[in-house]
Amino acid sequence: MLGDAAKAQEVFESIMHDAALRAAQGELPKDRLWLFNDARWRCLEASEAGLQAEPVEMEEHEIATTAPAQIGRLDPNQLAIWISAAPDPQRSALAFYYLDEFNHQELLDLTELKTAELAKLIVNARQEFQAWLNATVPPEESAEQP
Amino acid sequence: MRAAVFRVRKTEPFAHQRAFDQAVADLVQAIPIPNQVTEWLSKGTFVAAPRRAWKSILFNPAMVAIGIAVGVIAGIFVFKLVERLNEFPAENTAKRLLNVASSAKPVMLDPVKTEAGALGDFFFMKHRLPHYDVPPEFADFKTLGCRVFDDEEGQRIAQIWVVEKKMQFFLFPAERDLKSGVVRHFSGWRYADQDRWTGVVQERNGVCFMAAIRGSEKELAPYIAKPKE
Repeated sequence: MLGDAAKAQEVFESIMHDAALRAAQGELPKDRLWLFNDARWRCLEASEAGLQAEPVEMEEHEIATTAPAQIGRLDPNQLAIWISAAPDPQRSALAFYYLDEFNHQELLDLTELKTAELAKLIVNARQEFQAWLNATVPPEESAEQP
Repeated sequence: MRAAVFRVRKTEPFAHQRAFDQAVADLVQAIPIPNQVTEWLSKGTFVAAPRRAWKSILFNPAMVAIGIAVGVIAGIFVFKLVERLNEFPAENTAKRLLNVASSAKPVMLDPVKTEAGALGDFFFMKHRLPHYDVPPEFADFKTLGCRVFDDEEGQRIAQIWVVEKKMQFFLFPAERDLKSGVVRHFSGWRYADQDRWTGVVQERNGVCFMAAIRGSEKELAPYIAKPKE
């Protein structure tokens, strides 16, 4: 969500601090995903403070058969930065979706989106990411890798 | 919808999409997490187990099936219970006599034009049938004819045809206990029906009276609603 491990750790610690306080006072929310919800909004808040990515029209490419190999050549931090640069709610959708921890309903609850909206955001993101992959780790280049 | 999903799952683009998502998810798992955070993460669970709402439990197919089964069993049980509660001694005889009523013709009876209540003495004097009295609720009805006959069990049956709605009255011995021979009494009016004929039966002094009509209970109910002395 932030593309910056230090900022993410700060947010995480502040969430845990608040959670401990709320737990001590017996005021933990009934929403079982409140921690992730809280994390999402804190991350969005934190990201607003820093440099903002310019809204640009992203190129879109069809998902290639070589995509897994291209992705395999990426550094995890590159992916984190790419996702954190996406505009919200696409950013939240991608972060929660690729965490691979939530079911469909939970994703909709966390992102506060409808099914069609969430699907559209993810579909677009896949194609934009594919275009970015093609530019960063071209298929020919990745195919040459052992 | 499901067919569409199955069709999509077999397509090549979907396979590419899944491979793409899996690769991204694997890469996400490889994003380094600071040690301090992993220490926290190992301490507990951050997502509580989902609570099963009563609605999801209620609409579970197994629960629905169990509910339907229990409903059917309960329905049968209630039906049998109500049937049992409505049973009364001499019900079988009453049903048999309703068959007699449905096939009876006026010519089969001796013409007698009087009030039904007056026939009690007639049955006693002529046929030696004590207590074959028509209850007060039906005693005022004008008769067309009557007869006394033995049914297939050898019981003496008195049959009266009245003007009112072509109703027929039957007087017959109450059922007796097979071992002791004691009359099996029952109180109040009881309904019996057979082949679109309905009878309302009362037992008094070991003799049952039945008023039979072609129709339903609703047509007989007004006659017994207000007991007469």
